[in-house]
Amino acid sequence: MKNNIINILKKELREMFRDKKSIAMMLIIPFMIPLLVIGMSALFEYQTTGVEGTYNRIGFAYETTKTEEEIIKELGIFGVRDTEEQLKIKFEANLIDAYITKKDNKYIINGDDSENTTVASKIIETYFQTYKEYLQTNYLENNNLNAENLINIITLEKNIEKSENFFGNYITVYAFLFIIMAITISATYPATDATAGEKERGTLETLLTFPIKSKDIIIGKYLSVTISSIITGMLSLILMIIALLIAQNSFQIYEEIDLMLPLISLIFAIIVIIAYSFLISGLCIAVASKSSTFKSAQSALTPLTFISFFPSMIVFMINIKTNLVLSIIPFLNFTMLFTDITNGNVEWINIAAMLISTFIIIGIILRTIIKQYKSEKVLFS
Amino acid sequence: MLKVKDLKKKFITYDKNKKKKEFYADNGITFEVGKGQIIGILGPNGAGKTTLLRMIAGILEPTSGSIDYDGLTFEKNEIEIKKKIAYLSGNTKIYNTITSYELLKMCCELYDVPKKIKESRIKEITKILNMEEFLHNKIENLSTGQTQRVNIARCLVHDPEYYILDEATSGLDILSSQIILDFIKKEKERGKTILYSTHYMEEAENICDYCIMINKGKIIEEGSPKDIRKNTKTTNLRDAFFSLIGGTQNEK
Repeated sequence: MKNNIINILKKELREMFRDKKSIAMMLIIPFMIPLLVIGMSALFEYQTTGVEGTYNRIGFAYETTKTEEEIIKELGIFGVRDTEEQLKIKFEANLIDAYITKKDNKYIINGDDSENTTVASKIIETYFQTYKEYLQTNYLENNNLNAENLINIITLEKNIEKSENFFGNYITVYAFLFIIMAITISATYPATDATAGEKERGTLETLLTFPIKSKDIIIGKYLSVTISSIITGMLSLILMIIALLIAQNSFQIYEEIDLMLPLISLIFAIIVIIAYSFLISGLCIAVASKSSTFKSAQSALTPLTFISFFPSMIVFMINIKTNLVLSIIPFLNFTMLFTDITNGNVEWINIAAMLISTFIIIGIILRTIIKQYKSEKVLFS
Repeated sequence: MLKVKDLKKKFITYDKNKKKKEFYADNGITFEVGKGQIIGILGPNGAGKTTLLRMIAGILEPTSGSIDYDGLTFEKNEIEIKKKIAYLSGNTKIYNTITSYELLKMCCELYDVPKKIKESRIKEITKILNMEEFLHNKIENLSTGQTQRVNIARCLVHDPEYYILDEATSGLDILSSQIILDFIKKEKERGKTILYSTHYMEEAENICDYCIMINKGKIIEEGSPKDIRKNTKTTNLRDAFFSLIGGTQNEK
């Protein structure tokens, strides 16, 4: 029995690794992961640091003092001096992001509710805060008062713990969603080929004449699809780690943050990936073996691709806390546990619950397929 | 000895109005085959030949009736029976992405051919079927005739006692068909039992010791080709068949 499973497994793997399409399906998504990690990191960096640098074109409808000029330079403001009317025209032509007019000691920020003005207003507020502090200090010192004591009559210090590696966690969990997608896509092609494909090519009839139990045929096929999924999953994980290392050294947003998962988290991540590969391979084989042609199997598997991805997206978007019950819900549990792994809060009990539920489901799926292969339905469905 | 007793196979289909319809592809087939015989299963397309041979090969489960190979039944001895038989049909396809050698090696492993004799068996079969030239070529690159030889070779690796050949020459050119017919004759000489279904009556007349004529799932006549001709007062099996079903119009 064991030999027959190995013989079927060898046959399936040989066919799989000689088929260019199967190889392509195994590799396409994993190689997209580094692009995703680096692309998303660049986007985050642009959003956090790039915006302020972009919306710094500010008009001044009055003569600025030497001190003001120094502050403008210090804050990296691109200052434009002109009359109010001219600045208004320039603003409407989108040549500046906001402009300041002055009446006596009252300064007015002019603009609209666009992102440009909103960001520029924040820069202007910082500018005036700095200028105001300068004027106050000057005034106090001219009146022989200790400016230092007065200005710092109360002090404010931020003692806020750095949010838990927000960008790092986000990018890692996002990459994990891609790993899930890569595994799913990698499982669909060989599962279709090993079941409906074999039926369509007419080789299934030959296989059924061999002295092998249907159980051995299914287990052999199932293991081959699982191996393909695990290879994709592991490759994706390796590429994700490489991409995170590159991102860590290339983007400022990851400064003072360690993107690399600790060893224990990596072990947990591997467990989750392997469990998911086992589950999705079984489901793909179960769905595809009910179809009589490769094309119909592919159509039948499309909803499964969405079903597998949808709960993961929900977990990704809504911050749900993992518990024992949620850990047994297929698909939902994988992303939840991976999010925990990334945050460093994973619990063994939840991992154990996920593994138990996954292998119970796999057992049920395999029993169903074996039953199907025992009857003629497998040839004529 | 192979004993087939009152074998029935019911299929359920649905018509245009999704109304369930039952029909018997085979309805009460009984016969016995002794060692070293070639038995022809004859009949037109849709007569029930393929279903019958698929049941005898253990691919389909009969609705009722029994199949007995030397005292063994599929219910209790599926694996042992499958080791005794080789099934080859016109629809049977082999794996394209592997080489002939890899296929034969895989078949040896699946049929538990002892490791010691595996290589010599492959070598022997390769020589008999003149396959040396393309043994290490991928099957997808072989001609129809070469593929057919590989198909025969995979049936030979475990030296089966029974051959079940379903329309094995159907759709093949004259040379490829001859390869199969020569193979059948040789195996008979080696004392093997061969069940051979075909709708080519002339072919059956030439090689079969005993013929079973089937129409609409039932045996309509059986015996040696000579006896069938004699019983139907015809000169060949084709005419005999038409005489038994009452002419072509009746069949339509």
